[in-house]
Amino acid sequence: MFRRSLLVMLSIALVAAFSLTALASPEDGVLVFGATGELRTLDPHVSVDNNAWRAIYYCYDRLVEFKLGTTELVPGLATSWDIADDGLTYTFHLRKGIKFIDGTPFNAEAVEFNFDRLFGMGLAPAGTFGFIDKVEVVDDYTVNIILKEAFIPGISSFATDQGCIVSPGVMEHEVAGDWGQDWLTEHSAGTGPFYVDEWTHGIRVVLARNDNYWSEPAKLEKVSIRYIPEAADLRMLLETGEVDIGEKLTVDQIEAMKGTAGITVFEAPSFCCHYVYMNCQKPYLNDVRVRQAISYAINYRGIIDDLWRGTATQMRGPIPVGLVGHDKNVFQYHQDLEKARELLADAGYPGGGFTLKIMHAPVIPEWRPMALVIQEGLAEIGIKLEIESYAWATLRDKLNKGDFDMSHGYWTPDYADADMFTWFWFYSQNWGLAGNRSWYKNVVMDKLVTQSRIEVDPDKRLGIFQGIQWISVSDAVYLYLLQTDYQIVMRDWVKGYVYNPMLLNMPNFPGMYIEK
Amino acid sequence: MSPLTYIIRRIFLVIPIILGVLSITFLISHIVPGDAAQLMAGPRATPEIIERIRHEHGLDRPLYVQFGMYVYELFKGNLGKSILTRRPVLADIVDYFPATFELTTAAMLLTIIAGIPLGIISAVHKDRILDQLSRLSSVIGVSMPIFWLGLLMMLFFYVRLGILPGPGRIGGELPAHVTGLFTIDSLLSGNWRALADSLSHLAMPAFALGYAVLARVVRMMRSSMLDVFSQDYIQTARAKGLRERGVIYKHALRNALIPTLTVIGLSYGELLGGAVATELIFAWPGMAHYVVGSMRTLDFPAVMGVTLVIALVYILVNLLVDVSYAFIDPRIRY
Amino acid sequence: MHLSILESGTEEKRSRNSEWRRAVHSLRKSPLAVLGFVITGVLIVLAIFAPFLAPYSPTKMRLSERLSPPSSSHIFGTDDVGRDILSRVIYGSRISLRICTVVVGLTIGIGTILGVAAGYLGGWVDELIMRISDVFLAFPALILAMAIAAALGPSLDNVILAMVVIWWPRYARVARGQVLVLREIDYMVAAKAIGISGGRTFTHHILPNCISPILIQATLDLGEVLLTAATLSFIGFGAQPPTPEWGAMISLGRNYLRDNWWYATFPGLAILVTVMGFNLLGDAARDVLDPRLRRGP
Repeated sequence: MFRRSLLVMLSIALVAAFSLTALASPEDGVLVFGATGELRTLDPHVSVDNNAWRAIYYCYDRLVEFKLGTTELVPGLATSWDIADDGLTYTFHLRKGIKFIDGTPFNAEAVEFNFDRLFGMGLAPAGTFGFIDKVEVVDDYTVNIILKEAFIPGISSFATDQGCIVSPGVMEHEVAGDWGQDWLTEHSAGTGPFYVDEWTHGIRVVLARNDNYWSEPAKLEKVSIRYIPEAADLRMLLETGEVDIGEKLTVDQIEAMKGTAGITVFEAPSFCCHYVYMNCQKPYLNDVRVRQAISYAINYRGIIDDLWRGTATQMRGPIPVGLVGHDKNVFQYHQDLEKARELLADAGYPGGGFTLKIMHAPVIPEWRPMALVIQEGLAEIGIKLEIESYAWATLRDKLNKGDFDMSHGYWTPDYADADMFTWFWFYSQNWGLAGNRSWYKNVVMDKLVTQSRIEVDPDKRLGIFQGIQWISVSDAVYLYLLQTDYQIVMRDWVKGYVYNPMLLNMPNFPGMYIEK
Repeated sequence: MSPLTYIIRRIFLVIPIILGVLSITFLISHIVPGDAAQLMAGPRATPEIIERIRHEHGLDRPLYVQFGMYVYELFKGNLGKSILTRRPVLADIVDYFPATFELTTAAMLLTIIAGIPLGIISAVHKDRILDQLSRLSSVIGVSMPIFWLGLLMMLFFYVRLGILPGPGRIGGELPAHVTGLFTIDSLLSGNWRALADSLSHLAMPAFALGYAVLARVVRMMRSSMLDVFSQDYIQTARAKGLRERGVIYKHALRNALIPTLTVIGLSYGELLGGAVATELIFAWPGMAHYVVGSMRTLDFPAVMGVTLVIALVYILVNLLVDVSYAFIDPRIRY
Repeated sequence: MHLSILESGTEEKRSRNSEWRRAVHSLRKSPLAVLGFVITGVLIVLAIFAPFLAPYSPTKMRLSERLSPPSSSHIFGTDDVGRDILSRVIYGSRISLRICTVVVGLTIGIGTILGVAAGYLGGWVDELIMRISDVFLAFPALILAMAIAAALGPSLDNVILAMVVIWWPRYARVARGQVLVLREIDYMVAAKAIGISGGRTFTHHILPNCISPILIQATLDLGEVLLTAATLSFIGFGAQPPTPEWGAMISLGRNYLRDNWWYATFPGLAILVTVMGFNLLGDAARDVLDPRLRRGP
């Protein structure tokens, strides 16, 4: 009897508990963002991960910024800048009267410290500024940045996450010569419209509004970036309203959510490209005719219309549409099995008869079905394709060693210049993870890409890019698959979102707000 | 031999096992393909940066030296630094352990609170409807993949019916941090909303995780009760006219509990293993989840650290069960 | 205790025969045991005759028909590249059967040899084998299997290898336990005294008595092996596409659970039914073979 009444009491308690957690409604002033990737560090001089940038970017400012919604550069912490005629010196005129979140004043010395720290720690983000020779303080609010050699896209690098200006105040937390890295991993030290309030590992990062921001303050009081590893879970939470906004859902999920009440799906073309690397140093793939045959064997329409439900366009050459330099007349491969078989026969493999392997990682779920489609296409021309799945880290390691035949990949530009695609993808010194993942070597191409970095005349530069595109397509260096649309899903009560193709995973928190 | 001698002997036996465990985890993480230094440095790092990182972490020394270094550091309480989070692995584990502990303990409590009574009922009503139903659901319980059960429960209770919350440990504000166990912390700070929130989030994962063990406990309890019922002294007690309930609770229960408790203790290892699938399905930020993440990214300090800790916890639990069993049944101490 | 040791062999055989007959009779009365046999039988049939029983090829993609609900042409619906799920589930039975038989077979083999060696030879051999077993048993099985599979690289064969490495200690323990018990039995000692050679003692007396507990353990383990392999594939360290392994299919179907429930549900059902069949079979085996459990109803 006692046990029975205990059971009754327990069930009442449980029911009461559940009813308290019925449909969630948003707290005013707090935006909940659902992230499917977990960030590892909040230090801009350490991180090369888009997931981290989402939290880092708005805690800091940069010398120059991307104008909202475009790829243009506008003043940030620098009110103006001059580029010397020989392209070797950038002079930044800094804004006055700004303080970092820890009270340190912002001035030319702070900028010098920032770059000292970046190069002193010497981790991956330092590579973005590898073209810098030294930083000179001219006076309190003027800085000269001297380059090793002219680099046209250089100015654009200062607007990336790697260009975040870190406060000299972090040195108060320095331990054993680590430049304050231990401390900055979990905190922020910038001039930006937000600062890091709390980080509960595995659960969420909370950004709070910086009420002393030097420019227009953010409308939101807090931004809570929740870590939700599975896209399926994120979707459920968006539908119940527990999460306000989220990205990286699959194409199928977004398609299904489009009709749902209370949900807005935002789509726009982006510079993100999905393509396939073909290792030009390996047997069979070292013959351009084999690579061309493979390019002719793919069912591009099937991939785009069925797998991606039309939210992507087929790449035309290596430079995405929308970037200056893209040539819309470049040849584009299409599925032509006859042609493919002819090319194979020409290369000495009539009817195919060999095996290749393609790698992919579960981190991008769409790659698996794409690999299956490619496998089917190759089977039609007699090539057996084996699909191998690797952990993301292992895959990148194999790419770096050249230990693979073909592999899936994707690429987004850090700065808004075609060079972001051409230099990294084709320069023979960039073999491996650095960018040239097809391990391609062509001396003519090498000359073209190096020239494009220093050519000051814009028309001549366009001509160089044209040449690069034509060679890259006729040499079939990569399988140029898709330029995908960017999709982000949010509740109707989220307002003020403005898309920026250069800040793909960093929605403009400072401008957003909640309105029911 | 005396209980104390037995305990000491068992503890001594554990030490070579722990060493063996360390060696195995060390070996495993070194068969892993991939250049750890390269991974830590990131894609656009120069060769100099990579070499510097390699040297800093001692990755350029021979294997046995690295193992020695590892064991030495372990004695100082240093489990190494995670490649990805760049924090000490111990700090990461301390962060994630409470979540797993909360989940497995909740599942364990569920099996005890529900399993023992159900087993008794099953034995008392042997072969009648209640018994048949419970036996059927037992068989289904041990046969069901945890991750599938979890998925279906979420689909049904959260997506379709909306009466239980979705994945994660808690929906709204976190309670003030004391132990890291959200339920306890909410109680300690009198935060009733957080208590209800965390309890309701705990319901499905604890059930999915514990179901298989619950099934086993019910079966065990049932068969030991039946065993005891057929013993002579129970028949005698009944013949003497003692009340049925008195018979059950006083004599049968006490004797049937022993093997059942053993099953429960030994199932803790199964719960730890099952926590992996459960934490993945319900986005529970615990150690199992962390382990899978580290394995996927070849973060070998983290992998070694967590596997070691989980193994140690398991060894500890087994030790406790062995020792308590030895107290109860003197014949075991050979 | 038998008085005539030399005749003990034939007498044992005769009583074993009648034991079998009694066992089969009692099994037929138990519906659950029959169910276990039936399910296992169906699994074997499906695995062997998959190409004839499956309506479609498990790898043929039909992109235009992707994610179609169950219908008359696709009884279990289609997956995200248009493959028929029923066919994939049927072919998946081959993989499941392969995993179970290989893992259990190899672990029985390795475990029995090592365990009997430990029990029979004693001394440092015993200590060594038992310590190594203890180390492996000190890990929760899934965690260690995951670590090994992750280290070697995701593939079904690596999962099988990992599980064999982890599982053999259980059988070693059982075999050793049996040997230790048997050594004490008087007629073993007497047989040795009379001079029946060690080898004959081994094959004719020790091994047969080991088989029962090992068989029981094996049938009980079949289900657990399958569940572990499915869980590993679900996490991502096991079977790779396009292999139609049930756990891997659930992992893929998880993203589609909301609108395309069939993708993850049917493979899960297949696992459930199969493991249930194995468990019922194991229960039946234990009822028949374990003398300690033979008591009144």
